[in-house]
Amino acid sequence: MVNKEGAFLDSLIESFKQNFIEHDRWKYLTNGLITTLEITLFAVLIGFVLGFLVAIIRSTHDKTGRLKIANIICKIYLTVIRGTPMVVQLLITYFVIFGSVNIDKILVAIMAFGINSGAYVAEIFRSGIMSVDNGQFEAGRSLGLSYRQTMLSVILPQAFKTVLPALANECIVLLKETSVAGYIAIADLTKGGDTIRSQTYSAFMPLIAVALIYLVMVMILSNLVGRLERRLAKNDRH
Amino acid sequence: MIDIKDLCKDFGEVRVLKNINETIEKGEKVVIIGPSGSGKSTFLRCLNRMETPTSGDIIFDGQNIAKASEKELNKVRQRMGMVFQHFNLFPNLTIKKNITLAPVKLGLMTKEQADERAEELLKIVGLPDKEDEYPARLSGGQKQRIAIARALAMNPEVMLFDEPTSALDPEMVGEVLELMKKLADDGMTMVVVTHEMGFAKEVASRVLFMADGAILEQNEPREFFENPQNQRLKDFLSKVL
Repeated sequence: MVNKEGAFLDSLIESFKQNFIEHDRWKYLTNGLITTLEITLFAVLIGFVLGFLVAIIRSTHDKTGRLKIANIICKIYLTVIRGTPMVVQLLITYFVIFGSVNIDKILVAIMAFGINSGAYVAEIFRSGIMSVDNGQFEAGRSLGLSYRQTMLSVILPQAFKTVLPALANECIVLLKETSVAGYIAIADLTKGGDTIRSQTYSAFMPLIAVALIYLVMVMILSNLVGRLERRLAKNDRH
Repeated sequence: MIDIKDLCKDFGEVRVLKNINETIEKGEKVVIIGPSGSGKSTFLRCLNRMETPTSGDIIFDGQNIAKASEKELNKVRQRMGMVFQHFNLFPNLTIKKNITLAPVKLGLMTKEQADERAEELLKIVGLPDKEDEYPARLSGGQKQRIAIARALAMNPEVMLFDEPTSALDPEMVGEVLELMKKLADDGMTMVVVTHEMGFAKEVASRVLFMADGAILEQNEPREFFENPQNQRLKDFLSKVL
C-alpha cells in the first residue's frame, strides 16, 4: 500500500518536473498568461469605450428620437457581431481584413476581441440606462440640467451600479474567450499549455494547470468586483 | 407671468388638453383639481415643457416655452422649480448632494456657496440633521420636503407641484402641506395639482377645475367651493368633500 502511494507520488513529481521544470517549460504558461491578460485588458478597454458610445447613441435615440442614422449603424454592428461566432470574427479580422498587411497578431486579437466585446457591453450599458426610472431624468431636466448633464451626473452613475455584475461577467467571459487566440497562432495561455502537451505527450498536468490558472484569475476578478459592489451599495442601506 | 394660449396636447389619437387659455400672475397660488385623467398633470407638465405641447403658446416672461430651443429651455427651467408625485430624489447621492448638484453643475454657485445654501434650506424644510443621509433612509414626507428644498436651491420664480402628497402615507401629508403653506406665505408663485381640498381652500388664491382636457370652472376658493356653477364640478365636489 505504502509503496503504491509512494510510487504514485513519485510519478506525479516526475510528471511535474517533466512538464514544467525541464527546458523551462513553465515559461510557456507564464508568457502565455501575460499574453492572455494583455489581450483581455486592452480588449476590455476597447469594448467598454465602444459599448459605452453605442449604448449612449442607442438610448439617446430611444429617449429623444435623435441620431437616427447613427442608431441604424449601431444596430447593424450589434446584429453582425452578436450573430457570428467569435472565432470566425477573429479569423476574418486576421486573414481577410488584415490579410495583406504585416501587423502584430496580438494587436489584431485585441481589436477583434474588443470589437466583439463592445457589442455585448453596449447592450449591458443600454439596459442599465433604460432601467433608471424616467423620473430621475425628469428631475434632472426640471432643474435646468441639459440632456448631457443629466445623463452624465444623474443617469449614468446609477446605471453603472446596476450593470456592474453584468459587466464583470462580460470581463470573465472575455478572459476565457481569448483562449481561441491560438487559431491565429498566438501563444496565449491555452496555447502554452497545449504546446507543453505536444512536447511531453502528457495531457493531464499542462491542461489542468491551464484550467487552474484561468480559474484563479476569474476568482480574483469576481472578488474585486464583489468589493466594488459592496462599496457602491452603501447608499442603498435602509 | 405665464400666459397660456390655445394650448393643445395629443397623446397619439387622444386629445388630452383642448385649447386651454389661462394666465398665471406673479405671486398667485393656483390650485388645479379635477378627476383622474382630466389632463391636469399634463397641463402642469406643459408649463416647463416636461411634455411638449402639440400646439399653442406658453409665454413665460416674454419667452415662448412651447417653441423654445433646448438651450433656452434649460435656462427657463432653472427659473421654474418642479416637485413630483414620486419625489424623484437621486438615490445615489446624499441629501446635501441632491440639493447642490444642479446649482453647482450649472455654475450658478460654487460648491461652498451651494453647501451653505443647502444647510439653510434644510433648516427651512425642518431637516437640518439629514444632510449626509441617503434618500433611502428618509420617510416619504421627508423625501418630499427634500425634493422641495432641491427645487428651491435654484431660487426659482415659480414652483410647480404635481400631486406632491398623493404618494404619501396619510400621516405624512400634513408636514408637506405645512411646508408648501410656508412657501406660499413667503410670496412664491405656485401652481399646484392636488387632491387636497383643504389645502386648496386655505392656500389657493384661485382654484381651477379641470375635466376632459379643459378648464370648466375657476374662482377664488370660497366661492368655488361654496357656490359651484358647473354640474361636473358639483358632482365632483359632492364626491370628494
